[in-house]
Amino acid sequence: MKKDILFTVPSYFRGDMNIMSYRFGKGEKSCAVLGALRGDEVQQLYVCSRLVAYLREVERDGGIMPGKSVLVIPTAAGFSMNAGSRLWAPENMDVNRRFPGSPDGSTTSRIADALYDRLRLYRCGVQLTSFYQPGSFIPHVRMMDTGRQNPELACEFGLPYVYVRHPRSADKATLNYNWQLAGTQAYSLYAGKTQEIDEAAAEQTLRAIIRFLNGRGIIRSDTTPGHASSVITDSDLTTVSASSAGLLRRVKFAGAHVRRGEQLSFILNPCDGSVRETLKTPVTGMLFYVQDGPFIAEGSPVFQVLGSAKG
Amino acid sequence: MVSLFKESMIVAVVREITTVAGAALPVYESFSVRRCRYMPEGGADKRVCLASGIHGDELLGQLVLCETAQRIMAQPENLLGIVDIYPMLNPLGLDIGERMVPVGTRLDMNRSFPGSPDGTPLERICHQLIEDMRGADLALDIHGGTQQRHALCEARVTARDPEPLIAIARTLNPDLIWVYPDRIAYEASLSGALCRVGTPSLLIQSDERGDVRASASRITNGLFSCLKAMGLWAGEADAPAASIPCIRSEEDVTRITCQRPGMYVPQDCIGRQIRAGQLLGRVIDALEGGVVEEITAPCAGLVFTQRSYTPVYPGTMIARIYARRNEA
Repeated sequence: MKKDILFTVPSYFRGDMNIMSYRFGKGEKSCAVLGALRGDEVQQLYVCSRLVAYLREVERDGGIMPGKSVLVIPTAAGFSMNAGSRLWAPENMDVNRRFPGSPDGSTTSRIADALYDRLRLYRCGVQLTSFYQPGSFIPHVRMMDTGRQNPELACEFGLPYVYVRHPRSADKATLNYNWQLAGTQAYSLYAGKTQEIDEAAAEQTLRAIIRFLNGRGIIRSDTTPGHASSVITDSDLTTVSASSAGLLRRVKFAGAHVRRGEQLSFILNPCDGSVRETLKTPVTGMLFYVQDGPFIAEGSPVFQVLGSAKG
Repeated sequence: MVSLFKESMIVAVVREITTVAGAALPVYESFSVRRCRYMPEGGADKRVCLASGIHGDELLGQLVLCETAQRIMAQPENLLGIVDIYPMLNPLGLDIGERMVPVGTRLDMNRSFPGSPDGTPLERICHQLIEDMRGADLALDIHGGTQQRHALCEARVTARDPEPLIAIARTLNPDLIWVYPDRIAYEASLSGALCRVGTPSLLIQSDERGDVRASASRITNGLFSCLKAMGLWAGEADAPAASIPCIRSEEDVTRITCQRPGMYVPQDCIGRQIRAGQLLGRVIDALEGGVVEEITAPCAGLVFTQRSYTPVYPGTMIARIYARRNEA
């Protein structure tokens, strides 16, 4: 293992923020894994720390394949993590909206540039991302439809689903989008939670990355078999949104199979507990995403159901 | 709806306040974007939308739009078209001085357009705003200064088909017009999204450095010059300056950043023509009691953005200088 400082942001009031990288093996730049880009991505950091520990043992046992190398960057948001801020506080900026970045730009643009300059050299890329709404997903690999995506390769993670998503305007400044444009096969993995550690989800995400590295012939390591992945797109998902606001009381959770018309959750009056709305699924299928915040604003997507209108 | 009558009940303006976008919040409140419409009785063909408060830490637009409303109400006979005023696009952010929308994971509203009719509450609100402003003859997004930087009164137009917007921007009488690069982020802004659906839109910003009333009146006067030029205002209005600098190429903008962390102490250069080598400011270190960096202008030109007295990191923008590389 070779530990390096990939980029340093010096601070006047605080110490230096060093972005650390951990490299395993030598030769072809086979795969890069990036953990936290935001200050609240605790689970993403945790998965990467577990991955570094695991790859250290693999390397010690001679399990990194000759001529292959893996880079792991656990966090590029140490300053924000220590200050309890999701964004880069001095500029109120999201580093994951600054790609590809610029070496002469603002601080966040320089951080993005330093990361991108290193990451774009890798054949495959994995980013452990968070979602901008609180909630739980069925484990899946996600990528944007840039015309360069390779969903078949994503099946090697062995997660149940590979989700190809149409990019919105704001997505075009993200790492995943630009990484693909640079020629890297870039994937986003949702590690279950964001602001807290979920051991089971972390273990599942870690196993998926190890499975992918094994499948690509980058490492040799014992892995459990994965799922046969299904490739899905936006049109396979039906969103169930709240038409009222209040407290959310869920009765179904991510992964549950539901039949059309089945109750999913209640929106309660926050003061008297009366039911303002009962959310039901319009299709039969499986709950792919479930909002898990306590509060719901009007119009919030609460569920995404993977399934068909038949049945 | 309220009718405001002027003299002998002949000339009237209809004023109507409507909630044009919104979402109920969990505990007995709504995220409501309200619009006040001023319309000559009998209607009008032309419509201009004036919006502000998309960033909750920029408050100048409140005074600008209040002055605009007062001037219309004082001279209703001079209103020839519809003026729609949206002072508070991000009401929750404005209430606490927070730039972002302080709901969920704090997103920048001006990076969330064009929104979506079936997305998150913020995406729906952005979509509703675009639908409400779509088809106007002009939409102006008014921004204020922030604590971190000072700026001239500046109109920004998109680099995609800029000439018609430059002509409108001139009537606003800003200190500077900037043909802003059509970057990815611009697509997700209010102005960018409106331009994409064929509604002319531009951004105007200033800051309240010094006299807030003077800063606001400067923009208000420009708004009425613009309304008059577009045929929506028959009253008096300032004539635009004969010559307004217009940045048409990114090559003409020099961005100066600092290289060392510390506290930045600016020289007052905003709005001034400076010479190459002139001191812009110093980065100081209070712990060791010294100056760690002196920042000088790499070229002569007009300083149109200036960092204020704030902490800085390597890469923090200190100033923007406009200097034409190729004289026409």
